[in-house]
Amino acid sequence: MDAAEVAANKEAEASIDLLAIVLDTNPTQHIVRQNPQNLTQILEAVIAFGNAHLMQKAQNKLAVISCSHHATDFLYPLPGRQVELRPIDGQYEAFSLVEKTVKQQLGSILMNAPRLSSPCESLLAGSMSMALCYISRLQRNVAAGVKMHSRILVLTGSNECASQYMTYMNVFFTAQKLSIVIDACALDKTLSLLQQGCDITSGQFLKVTQLDGLLQYLLWVFMPSPQMRHKLVLPPPPKVDYRASCFCHRELIDIGYVCSVCLSVFCKYSPICTTCHTIFKTPGPLPIKPKKKKKTEKQM
Amino acid sequence: MADDEQDDQKEYRWETGYEKTWEAIKEDDDGLLDGAIAELIQKAKRKRQAEKTKQNRLGMMRHMFIVLDCSEAMSVPDLKPTRLLCTLKLLEIFIEEFFDQNPISQLGIIALKAKRAEKITELTGTSRVHLKALAGMANVSLTSEPSLQNGLDLALKTLKVVPSHASREIVIIMGSLTTCDPVDINLTIDELKKERIRCSVISLSAEIHICRYLTQQTMGTFGAVLDDSHYRDQLLSQVDPPPAAKTQDNSLIRMGFPHSKNEVEGKDEPLSMCMCHIENLEEPSGLSTTGHHCPQCNSKYCELPVECQCCGLTLVSAPHLARSYHHLFPVPNFEELPFESVPPAAPDCGSLRKCYACIKVLNGLTDKSVFKCGYCNQFFCIDCDIFIHETLHACVGCNTIPGVAGLVYQKQSGKTPSGDTQQQQQPKTMLPSTSKQRVEYNM
Repeated sequence: MDAAEVAANKEAEASIDLLAIVLDTNPTQHIVRQNPQNLTQILEAVIAFGNAHLMQKAQNKLAVISCSHHATDFLYPLPGRQVELRPIDGQYEAFSLVEKTVKQQLGSILMNAPRLSSPCESLLAGSMSMALCYISRLQRNVAAGVKMHSRILVLTGSNECASQYMTYMNVFFTAQKLSIVIDACALDKTLSLLQQGCDITSGQFLKVTQLDGLLQYLLWVFMPSPQMRHKLVLPPPPKVDYRASCFCHRELIDIGYVCSVCLSVFCKYSPICTTCHTIFKTPGPLPIKPKKKKKTEKQM
Repeated sequence: MADDEQDDQKEYRWETGYEKTWEAIKEDDDGLLDGAIAELIQKAKRKRQAEKTKQNRLGMMRHMFIVLDCSEAMSVPDLKPTRLLCTLKLLEIFIEEFFDQNPISQLGIIALKAKRAEKITELTGTSRVHLKALAGMANVSLTSEPSLQNGLDLALKTLKVVPSHASREIVIIMGSLTTCDPVDINLTIDELKKERIRCSVISLSAEIHICRYLTQQTMGTFGAVLDDSHYRDQLLSQVDPPPAAKTQDNSLIRMGFPHSKNEVEGKDEPLSMCMCHIENLEEPSGLSTTGHHCPQCNSKYCELPVECQCCGLTLVSAPHLARSYHHLFPVPNFEELPFESVPPAAPDCGSLRKCYACIKVLNGLTDKSVFKCGYCNQFFCIDCDIFIHETLHACVGCNTIPGVAGLVYQKQSGKTPSGDTQQQQQPKTMLPSTSKQRVEYNM
C-alpha cells in the first residue's frame, strides 16, 4: 500500500503538467465595455495564476492564447521573440518572462487591431482548437516514459454563438480522446456549450459572481490538478441539458425525428429532409403504426 | 506499397512489371533509414487522407456483425503471439474506435467454432459487453475447420430484421484457407446480395477465391494481411462509415432525447432503479437519483445511447449525433507546398517561419513541405495537417480568423435567395462550423 503510494507520488513528480489558458480579449465583451479596467484586472489575475502553476513544479509548462475579435494569437510562449529582461531581486526569471511576454504581446495585438464597427463574437472554439494543436505537438515530443497531463482553461465574458457548435463539439471530442481536461471560467454569463464540454472532458465549470475575487477563484478551483480534485470540495457540477434542438424551430425537444442520412433533427415528420434533400420512403405508416398497436394492447 | 493491389483489381502484384522497390528507400547522411521510413509512413497517411472524398450520404446507422474464425488455423503463431490473441487485441481497439466514431451504431460478434457458428454477443450499442466477451474468448479451444456459410447464415438471420434504413455489414476475419459448408455457399451469397448486406473479409493467411467473390458480390472490401500493423490498418479502415448504398431506404427515425433535469426545482428526484441493469444478475441495479429517463415511457437508463426496453424508442443525446457530423463535413484537403512559400514572421519576432496552429518553428531541413488551407491561406506543419484531418476535424485557421468564415457565408446566402428560409432554419445543433463546409454541403 505504502509502496504503491510512494510510486504514485514519484510518478506524479516526474510527470509534466501543461496548462493552456485561452483568454478572451475581445473588447466587445460586456464586462470590458462596462469598465475597461476590468481587462487589466483579468490579465493580472491570469499572469499570477499562470505563474502559480509554474511554481508548483519545475517541469510544469504554460501556454497563454488570446482570442480577440480579429485574430487568435499566442501570448506565451513566443519562440524567436526577444524580450528584454531585467532581473528583479528575489524573483524567479521565468515568472518575469511570462509577465513581460504576455503584456508586450497583448499590447502589440491590441495596438494593431483593426477598428471595430460593430460588436462581434469571439471565436473561442477556434482558439481552443489551436490550443489542442499545441498540446498535441508537445505530447508527441515528450520523452519516452514521461507522462504529460494537459488541460485547457477558458476564461471568457462573451456570449457563446451557436454558429460555432460544430467546432466546439469537435474540440470537446478531440480533447476527450486525448484525455485533455477542459475547464471553463465564465466571467459574465452561464455558457451552456462550454458546460457540456466540461462535462464531456470531466473538467470544472465555474461562473464567477464577483470579478474582484477572480484570482482567488482561479487559485481555489482551477489550480489543483484534475487528479487531485476529487479529494477537494469544489462547486458541484451543474446539471447539463443534453437535449437536441430541432432544426425547424430551434426548440429543445424530448422526442424527435432524425434523418437516417444526415442525422438532422426535426420535431415533426416531413417527407423530405431540408438539410440533405433526401426523400424519405414509407411516410405515414411508420410513426402511426406503433400507436395503433399500443391502443389495441391496452384494450386487450 | 501493399495498398497498390487495391488499385488494380485485375492484376496481381506478381503479374505486374518489375519494380525496384528498394530505390524508394534512401539512407540519410548518417546511413540511417529512420528518416526515410518516417517519410514513407507520412506519405501513406497523406495518401489515405486524400482518398477520403467528400461523401454526403453515408450509412451512418450501422449494424455490423464481426464473424471471427475460431478454427485450428487461428492458433498459427505467424502473428504474435498467435493469430487469435493478436486478433482479440486489435478487436479491442477496433470496438472502442467503432463506437467512438459511430455512436448510434450496433455491433455483434459471431464465432466460427468447429464447423458451427455461435453468437458471442447480440447486436448492442455498448462497447462494454463486447470487450467483456472478447476477454473471455482468449482461452477458447481452437479445433477443426470453420464454416463460412453457417456464420453468414447466422448473421443474415439477425440482420434481416434490422430496419432497412440502417447500413448492414458483416466483417469476416478468416484465418483458415478452407471452409466446410453444409450446402452450396453461392446460395447464401446470393441471399446476402439480395438483402444488400455489405460483406468484407480480412484474411490472415492468403487470398481465398470464395471470399474475394463474396466481397465483390456484396460491394465489400477484401484484404489479406501482411503483418500486424497492416492488419490493424485493414481492421480500422472498417471504422469509417461506408457510403450509403443507393438502394438503401431513407427514413426519419423517431428518437428520444432524455434529460435529467428535475421537474421541481430544488427537490431531489426520488431514488429509482435503472432498466439496463435490472436483468443483469452479476451487476444488480443500484438505487440512485440520477439517470436518463425515456421521454415516452419514463423508464430509467444509466447510459446513453440505448434502445428503450419498454417502448423501443432509441434514446440518444445531442452530442452523440454531433459526434458523427464530422463524417459529413470533412475538412478539405490542404495543398502541399515547399517550405519556402511560408511568409516569415515580423522581424521583431525573429523573422521565423511558424506553423499557424502549433507555433512550431519550421526549418527547411526537417519540414521540407508545408500545407496550406485553400480557404484561410494559413500554413501548417505536417503533424498539424494530419492532426487536423484525422482527429480534430476542424481547420484551425478557418475557425480563428473571423473574416474567412463570415465573408464566404455572406456570399453564400446572397447567392441563393431560395435558400433563405433554410438559412433561417439553420439549427442550433448542427451548423457547419465554417461556411466553407456549409458551401460544400449545400452543393
